[in-house]
Amino acid sequence: MKKIKFILTLVTILSSFTAGQFRLPDYEIFKMKNGLTVYLMEKKDVPLISISMVFGGGAVKDGKISGLASFTAEALKFGTAAYSKTQIDSLFNFYGSDLNTYATLDYSGLTTQLMKENFSKLFPVIKEVVLNPTFPADEIEKRKQRWIAELEQAKESPRAVIQSYFNKLIFGNEVYANPLNGTKAGVAAINQKIIKEFYQMNYSPESSAISIVGDFNTSSMKSELEKYFNQWRSSGPQTSEDFTIIQKPFDKARVYLINKENAFETTFLIGGLGITMSNEDQVQIDVINTILGGRFTSWLNDELRVNAGLTYGARSRFASYRFAGTFYISSFTATKNTEAALDLAVKTYNRLFEKGIDDATLRSAKNYVKGQFPPDYETSSALARFLTQKFIYGLDDSYINEFEKKVDQLDVSKANEIINKYFPKENLQFTLIGKSDEIRKIAQKYGELIERNIDDDGF
Amino acid sequence: MKTILIFLIAAASLFPQVKADDVKQFTLKNGMKIFVLEDNSIPNANMYLFYKVGSRNEHIGITGISHFFEHMMFNGAKKYGPKEFDRVMEANGGSNNAYTSENITAYTNWFPSSSMEVIFDLEADRIANLNFDPKMIESERGVILSERSTGLENSPLEELWQTVQATAFVAHSYMWPVIGWESDIRNWTKEDLENYFHTYYAPNNCIVVISGDVKLDEVKRLAEKYFEPISAGPKPRAIHTIEPEQLGEKKVFVKREVPSPYVMITYHVPQTGSEDYYALNLLNSILSAGASSRLYSSLVEKKQLAIEVGTYYPEAFDPTLLYFYGICNDGVLGTQLINAIIEETDKIIKEGITEAELQKVKNQKLMEFFQTTETINGMSNTIGTYELFFNDYKKLFTAPEDYKKVTAEDIQRVAAKYLTKQNRTIGILNTEEEQ
Repeated sequence: MKKIKFILTLVTILSSFTAGQFRLPDYEIFKMKNGLTVYLMEKKDVPLISISMVFGGGAVKDGKISGLASFTAEALKFGTAAYSKTQIDSLFNFYGSDLNTYATLDYSGLTTQLMKENFSKLFPVIKEVVLNPTFPADEIEKRKQRWIAELEQAKESPRAVIQSYFNKLIFGNEVYANPLNGTKAGVAAINQKIIKEFYQMNYSPESSAISIVGDFNTSSMKSELEKYFNQWRSSGPQTSEDFTIIQKPFDKARVYLINKENAFETTFLIGGLGITMSNEDQVQIDVINTILGGRFTSWLNDELRVNAGLTYGARSRFASYRFAGTFYISSFTATKNTEAALDLAVKTYNRLFEKGIDDATLRSAKNYVKGQFPPDYETSSALARFLTQKFIYGLDDSYINEFEKKVDQLDVSKANEIINKYFPKENLQFTLIGKSDEIRKIAQKYGELIERNIDDDGF
Repeated sequence: MKTILIFLIAAASLFPQVKADDVKQFTLKNGMKIFVLEDNSIPNANMYLFYKVGSRNEHIGITGISHFFEHMMFNGAKKYGPKEFDRVMEANGGSNNAYTSENITAYTNWFPSSSMEVIFDLEADRIANLNFDPKMIESERGVILSERSTGLENSPLEELWQTVQATAFVAHSYMWPVIGWESDIRNWTKEDLENYFHTYYAPNNCIVVISGDVKLDEVKRLAEKYFEPISAGPKPRAIHTIEPEQLGEKKVFVKREVPSPYVMITYHVPQTGSEDYYALNLLNSILSAGASSRLYSSLVEKKQLAIEVGTYYPEAFDPTLLYFYGICNDGVLGTQLINAIIEETDKIIKEGITEAELQKVKNQKLMEFFQTTETINGMSNTIGTYELFFNDYKKLFTAPEDYKKVTAEDIQRVAAKYLTKQNRTIGILNTEEEQ
């Protein structure tokens, strides 16, 4: 494969756009009497219907039980008053579908895609899973044991876990440091009572939304929703919605060195604080990041991969959340090339501040983000996901409908302003996973060293 | 890199959205076949180029060169020098990627349809006049070594996979990994690359699929302008090696520090499009597609022996392998999981499958079809895949009839025929060898 597909976007909903030609298709939005927000969008090119639901609580609400939000999301499918776990799995598979439930840091969610003709058979099951999960203790115990084994296996892949270490370095004791899939100790402490409490606090119609996109008729879909979701009521006190994260710039550079004894590569992230999901400049920030590390010809990939042959890929991105965010450069290299790759990554990054961006490069990046945008919204699932993300992050349709305008408004002087405002310049934070004994001296060069063993529980 | 090609089934009668007739086809004078699907749902289009060359065309000493070549196609030609292919494409709003398998190499371009002519120009330049800059060869060698190494660093399964594949085959070139062996990556030469280019990268060894917001006439005009002047090449020599029948079970162990063992089992099975292909493909789904599949529900959910199980039946021009793989749950021995997998396949051989299971996997195939047709990329990739592996893209539209013919008895029969002890290779990867 030529390259790992570049993640251009701040988040999936934002990348680029050719406006005037591509707008968000029409949809209806309304609130049901119980407070559930509903988005309905007809799209009839294939006989499929996509459903996306979001619920208020994500891993930032884990509290002392690390992994609770993710575990609870999966446990929705462990059984309901009317269906056993096996029945839920079998029904969805029989009709050619899968039911997915998940948590992110900010929220939890459910997605599925159904053949239109099977909608009436599966929609009642979705209702049961959301409204009447029973969280059977035996299924919880079985899953806990496997979950813990999975956490151990995940550490066999540095690239699968490095972001959790990086978030720990950046956010310290704030909730955005919570690892999405938890820790072994956290998961071991989960039981039916704790899950039920989390469900009651975080799954309620008022803090949830459902979007349905596909081949259906809006008025009859409304009756389906009335029939199945109108009866949903909050089952307990709700967690408070908002909280504030104070992000102070770092007063020193630090290096989080994670020892993996059998590593023959060093996997690394370099960065600092980023932006929140609702940042008004994020489209333009994304264009700048495209130049730095968001496409194949980006500066980072060009230097580290194409010119130096040090790595298969180097990139950068903003990972944005509701109340916080990070920015990071990411790459990997053979252990013996660690210093060369880190030096080159930092040197290339500093070009942003030292030389800034020229007009030709900016023009190319603007064309690129606009040209690559429409396929991101080609499918009913992508559109359904966008609508529920609007709900969670308080975005409006201008994110799509004015994308091109915002991209076009970016000129060289604004670009350089954005660089100085949003890209962390001083006291960069490093996370390295590799063989510590061979790279410790190099690591020390970049900042204050904090060391940890990959086999230790958590991050 | 191994890339699982999308597989799908469909019937013209069932799916009014896309019909065989919607796909237009023409052949240039140099033998290059071009397929076009007009679809204006978004203002974008793509161009997929499939070359009939992969690691199966290699020999010992140059393993991995097909994949290396894939990378070199981006490193400069006559009109557009090193780096220009990507720079020009991205400045015009386009992006690209490529993948290599044992059988084929595919190049994929995604762009706003207004940029289509630039894409034709870029592709024509590199097909006609690829240039091998020694400096670019050396830096790309480093990239490939990193790609190979990062796969192994992050995936014990990849390490086991390479060893099992190399054990299951004794004669056929499917025995080595697509990425190649490290010493070959370090040592192939500019001449090796040039030979490869002249042997396999002729327009008559390539098919092109374009889908999206385009017009057939315009595609034809551009294809005649840019692709037709490129000379045809001699037909590449056919691969004649036939893997001899496996005469007994093989076992292999790989030592690597892991929290719990990784296991793999393979069986020799026929190639894509062969008589038993459809039954084997459905068997593959029955074993591992979804949480209700045989292996997942039994070994992960019920018996708690594994945290992950899967099966894989790759598209292939020649007889290939059906792969079973799994990661043991904490405290479970590799041999325990291996035995449990075999127990499940023996059950199918002995008792067969249910009608409900058969219907389920047919429904799953239908769903895959709809999901594929929802995007222009899904369509291009699938049209190309059918044309290559079934010799006729229209097979895509008759596949449901072909699948409909498969009975529960057929699935039991192919399980009994191929999933035998004699035909089996077993691999375990663990910190220490089990006693």
